Amino acid sequence: MSDPRLSELVERAFAYRGYVTVLRRDGSELVGYLYDRGPAHVDLFDETAAKRTRLAREEIEDIRFTGDDPVRKSQEIWERRKGTLEPRDAPAYGLWGEARPLLLVVALEHELRQISGALGLRRRGATARGRAFGREVVALAVGIGGGAARAVSAEEPRMVISCGFCGALDPRLETGDLVLATSVRDEGGDQIEAPSASLETARRALSGLRVFEGQILCTTSVAATPAEKLALGSSGAIALDMETHPIARAAGHAGIPWLAVRAVIDPASSTLPSFVVEPQRGYVAPALLHALSGPRRAMEIVRIAAQARRAGRSLREAIHRLIEAQP
Amino acid sequence: MAAVARYVLKQRLSGREKYPLVLMLEPLFRCNLSCTGCGKIQYPVSILKKNLSVEECVGASDECGAPVVSIAGGEPLLHPQIAEIARALVARNRFVYLCTNALLLERKLDEFQPDKHLSFSVHMDGPRAEHDLSVFREGVYDVAAKAIAAAVKRGFRVTTNTTLFEGADPARMRRFFDEMMELGVEGMMISPGYSYEKAPDQEHFLRRERSHKLFARMLEDPKRSWRFNQSPLFLQFLMGKRDFECTPWGNPTFNIFGWQRPCYLLQDGYARSFRELIEETEWPKYGRKSGNPKCQDCMVHCGFEPSAVRATFDSPRAMGETALAMMTGRL
Repeated sequence: MSDPRLSELVERAFAYRGYVTVLRRDGSELVGYLYDRGPAHVDLFDETAAKRTRLAREEIEDIRFTGDDPVRKSQEIWERRKGTLEPRDAPAYGLWGEARPLLLVVALEHELRQISGALGLRRRGATARGRAFGREVVALAVGIGGGAARAVSAEEPRMVISCGFCGALDPRLETGDLVLATSVRDEGGDQIEAPSASLETARRALSGLRVFEGQILCTTSVAATPAEKLALGSSGAIALDMETHPIARAAGHAGIPWLAVRAVIDPASSTLPSFVVEPQRGYVAPALLHALSGPRRAMEIVRIAAQARRAGRSLREAIHRLIEAQP
Repeated sequence: MAAVARYVLKQRLSGREKYPLVLMLEPLFRCNLSCTGCGKIQYPVSILKKNLSVEECVGASDECGAPVVSIAGGEPLLHPQIAEIARALVARNRFVYLCTNALLLERKLDEFQPDKHLSFSVHMDGPRAEHDLSVFREGVYDVAAKAIAAAVKRGFRVTTNTTLFEGADPARMRRFFDEMMELGVEGMMISPGYSYEKAPDQEHFLRRERSHKLFARMLEDPKRSWRFNQSPLFLQFLMGKRDFECTPWGNPTFNIFGWQRPCYLLQDGYARSFRELIEETEWPKYGRKSGNPKCQDCMVHCGFEPSAVRATFDSPRAMGETALAMMTGRL
C-alpha cells in the first residue's frame, strides 16, 4: 500500500455507511457498499447487497462518495426532532412494511378451523398465527358483523382478506363455488370497490377453480329462505355474508388493500335450518338439538353438514392459493 | 449456569486461551425503532433488508461453539425466519437469548415454544419516561411490559437488557428493578452504553468515572429480590470495586458481513471464519491498555462479562467471592 491518498480514501470509504463508486484504473466503475479492507484489497457488496466483490487495491484509481450517508441522515433527523418522540401509534413494524402480516378475518371459529387447517397453523382461541407458505399470517375469528376495525388496528397488516362462507343469491352458484368480491355493499347502500391490484392477483391465484366474480351484499341478518334470497338478489349482488363490508371499511380507513373470497355454503334455492337464523357462538349443540327434533330435521342437518364440508374444501384450496400468490 | 461453568472449565483444562462464551448473532440490521444511542442500524436500505439465513446462523454457532447465543440486531423479530433460527439453535443445546424491543413480541409468541434454552431478552432502558425517551417513541415501555407479562404467563423465560446513559437517576433505577421483578422477569442485565460514533445522540454516553459513580449508587445495598443475569464480579466492576481488561474475543459477533473484528461494538473489519477471527485479529490493538481511544470508556458487558467469568475461574478466592455474592445478593 504505497499511495497515501488512496489509503486515506479506502479508510474513509470503510468508515462511510453509504454507497461509494469505485473508479478502476481500466476506466470502469463499481458501485457498492465497502464493508472491509485488507492490505491489498477491498470488499464490497453490490447495490442489491446480493453479490460480494473483492477488488485489488492496485486496480483502484479513485473512490467517490456517491450514496446518501445514513449516519448523517439519522443525526439530522434526531437533531430536528430532538425532544419530540415518535407518537404512540407509530407502526410497530417501523419502515419495514413487507414484514407486516396478511390478516385473514373470518366470523366464526368453525371458519377459522378451515383457515388454520389450510395454512397449517395452530389455533389459540379465536386466533391462528405464524408463517405459512413463507408469509407471515394472522387469522382471526372476530364474530359476526364486528371486530374488524380493532383487528386491523392491532395487527397492522399489509393486506386484509375477508374469508369464510357465504350464501348464494345468484342461482348459478352451487355449494362449494367460490365468490371473489369485486365490490361489497351494505344494506344502507354504501358500496366499496375492491382494489384492482388485489383482485388481479386473486384472479390469477384462483384460476382453474369454480370462481364467480361480483358484488357481495353484507346483511345484518341471515337470509334463510329462497324467497328472501331472491328479494336480496334483485340488487345485483351474487352472494351475501355478514362481515365483508366492515372489514373492507376498516381496511380502507387504514389504507390497506383488501380482498374477499368466500365459499358458497347454501345455494339460492335452499332453505337454511331455523337454528342458523340467529347468530350463535357455536353451531354444534343447536344442530344436535335440531337433529333430535325429528327425522326430517335430522336429514336437514346431514345435508347442511355435507354442504359445509364441501364449502370448507373449496375455502381451504382458495386460501392456500391466495396466500402463496401474495408478494 | 452449570452448563456454562462446565464449558469454561473444559476450555481451561484443554489450555485454550481464547475461547468464546457468547456468540453475538446479528441476523439483520433493520429495526422498527430509532434509539438515540444506537449506532447499529445506519446502513443503506439494501443492507438493512438483508437477512442471514437459518443455515448461516446455525453454521456460525457450530463454527464458534459458544454455549450461549445472543440474537441481536436490528430487531430480530423482524427477521422472517427468526423462530426457525431460535428453534435450530435450541435443538443444538445452545442457550439462546433473543434480544428484542418487544414491540412485536406479543404478536409473535405463537411462533415460539417455551424451552429452558430460550429466553427473550427485552430491551428496557429504565422506567417508563427514560425508556420511551431512549427509544424515541411514546408508549414503548407499556407495550414491552405487557409483552413481558404475556410471555411469562405462557411459560417463556424472560430477562431484560438495560443500557444506561448520562442522566440516569439511581433512585429511579432501583424502583425500575423492583418493577421488573414484579413483572416476573427472571434476571436483569445492565450496562453503560457504548459511545457509538454512528449514533445520533453523542452527548449522553457515560464516561468511565461517571459510570462507576452511577452503578455504585444504583447497586449499593442491593435488594435480595433483585436478580441479575450477570456475574457478580462484572457488577462489582461496574461499581468500580474491581478492574478488568476487556476480553473482546469472549463475545464474538457474526453478521451479514462476516465475523466482526474485534468485538460487538467496534467495526474494524471482518474475518471469513471464526478461526481467522481468533488467529489473525491484532488483539493487542484493542482494550484499555492498548491506548485505543475507542476502548477507553467502554465498560460494556460484551467485553467485560467474559473477563469477569474468566476471573471467577482464575482463583479459588474469586470463585468463593462469586459464590458468596450469588448466595447473599451482596455486591
